[in-house]
Amino acid sequence: MLSVRDLTVSLGPATAPVDIVAGVSFELGKGEILGLVGESGCGKSMTSLAVMGLLPQPGPRIRTGQVLLEGSDVTQMEPWQRVEAGHGRMAMIFQEPMTSLNPVRRIGDQIAEAVQVHDRVSGLPATARARELLELVRMPDPAMQLSAYPHQLSGGQRQRVMIAIALACRPQVLIADEPTTALDVTIQVQVLGLLRELCNRLDMAMLFITHDMGVIAQLADRVAVMYAGRIVETAGVEALFGRPCHHYTRGLMDCMPSRNSGARRLPTIGGQPPAPGTVRAGCVFASRCAAVRETCRSVAPPRAEVSSGHEVLCAFPLDDGGPR
Amino acid sequence: MTGNAVLDIKDLKVSFKVRRSGGKYQVRAVDGVSLSLAEGEVLGIVGESGCGKTTVGRSIVGLARPDSGSISFKGKDMSAAGLRDMRLNIRMVFQDPYASLNPRRTIGDSVAEAGDINGFFTGRAERSAAIAAALTAVGLDPSFAARYPYELSGGQRQRAGIARTILPSPSIVIADEPVSALDVSVQAQVLNLMMDLREQLGLSMLFISHDLGVIGQISNRVAVMYMGRIVEQATTRAVLDDPRHPYTRSLVAAIPKPDPSKRILGAIETGEPPSLFKRPSGCAYAPRCPLASHRCLVDVPELRSVDDRALACHNV
Repeated sequence: MLSVRDLTVSLGPATAPVDIVAGVSFELGKGEILGLVGESGCGKSMTSLAVMGLLPQPGPRIRTGQVLLEGSDVTQMEPWQRVEAGHGRMAMIFQEPMTSLNPVRRIGDQIAEAVQVHDRVSGLPATARARELLELVRMPDPAMQLSAYPHQLSGGQRQRVMIAIALACRPQVLIADEPTTALDVTIQVQVLGLLRELCNRLDMAMLFITHDMGVIAQLADRVAVMYAGRIVETAGVEALFGRPCHHYTRGLMDCMPSRNSGARRLPTIGGQPPAPGTVRAGCVFASRCAAVRETCRSVAPPRAEVSSGHEVLCAFPLDDGGPR
Repeated sequence: MTGNAVLDIKDLKVSFKVRRSGGKYQVRAVDGVSLSLAEGEVLGIVGESGCGKTTVGRSIVGLARPDSGSISFKGKDMSAAGLRDMRLNIRMVFQDPYASLNPRRTIGDSVAEAGDINGFFTGRAERSAAIAAALTAVGLDPSFAARYPYELSGGQRQRAGIARTILPSPSIVIADEPVSALDVSVQAQVLNLMMDLREQLGLSMLFISHDLGVIGQISNRVAVMYMGRIVEQATTRAVLDDPRHPYTRSLVAAIPKPDPSKRILGAIETGEPPSLFKRPSGCAYAPRCPLASHRCLVDVPELRSVDDRALACHNV
């Protein structure tokens, strides 16, 4: 469905590029939910914008790599070319729905606008489809809400509207960048449930970006953990949580409060992620890794397959998931 | 609670005037909250956005003006206690470390500000030493005193924000979502720091958060707020392990557990959040509540003591 190969996104002059996404590869199958998890600045949002063709201009650019949607590379296409070629069927939703919606237009019109672009219809048929989309995202009272303005809706309802707009193009791939981070937990669980239901029902694949390991565990089929522009571990969700092999993955899980209820102190990962472009040799995680060895600082770690479908970018991976 | 309460809030009510679609509305953000904070205790306040938890914190430090009710610090009514004394004793850590530090002042000047205003330092050397000690206490190198906020990462800024609250040393720290803007690995560092400081300085803390996981880590007791009222209050373990109020139950159930074998999506029903402009006549939670009975629609449940906790519900 979607295949990203060796994607590198860089900033700065072509003669001295700084890679903020460095050689990221992943596959997304039909109907699959891939969770991309990492902390701020690790390059997860840049990866999604690059895949979507939405990198801010001027600014970061794709230096190498391919983004194959059903076999054709979309990195070299302009947005209109993507639509013409039938590769427009990728959509994205963002963290804060209020900043993505137009505050002075009724939501029905905003959904219908997306319908007009993709279905080439307008007027009543577009409104009818907008209503259908609101029903699809389980908006209470959809016919009434068509005439509501964004400020009249709650945060959860606004995110439902964003999802409805994204679904207007009948996407094969939905990219969701922290769509529930701004929502209360009680609403988050509803929106996550809706997204999973839609993936099943519409046979839609989803790239779900988050910093929250709990959300990943609840939602994803497979997980890619990102650190300093690289995917450091990728595995099925059960395998990743059952047996994390990268020291960073393990650290992320350990420092979650909900895994330590009652403990007096939380385990932490010391230090901070390196600034992009500052690690010239060796492993990007070496400066924070508790199990670092001399070779880690000089030799780039190999990508090793610890079991089928479970890969880790580490020379000395945890072999038993570490002590429990 | 006990006789050694450092902070005692009785029947606090705070409302705001809001203009919406031509009309003026009175929104009651806090509707009769009573709390007490014992010496050395961490009391967590948890609830969804708009429940009034931040307004409670801001009322205590005087950033919001209560309509009625009393707030007393060590037995003295706060309105009479003298603002200056109160402000040195009760300090606040804010949510957004990017917005709460003045971008044009050095970290050292921001940290020393409360001391400067109150004539706390006798000379430059003493001031510098105090700044260095405060920065060291929060795990920052003393050289950070000369830096500006833009030079710091989010975690470092929040450490600086905490350093501001411990110089001079206060009795109570009100922490309003202090780790919500931080990454998980940094969040753990800052939570550990707050627990350490509380122990070293004997602080009492009001810890406001929407995240029950974080609250569970740091608090001794938890108060759960819904639409301006406390609906359940008990020890942290009692609230997390055995939530009784239907709202607390749904909050606990909705935490995304980091365990793929315990999936909850689609399995729990949490309802739509309420509008602050349309307060239901009876129990504010009744429209979302699975246990709601006829009585809940007309009769506001009072907070009463049940077994090991305080509860405001007719049906549990």
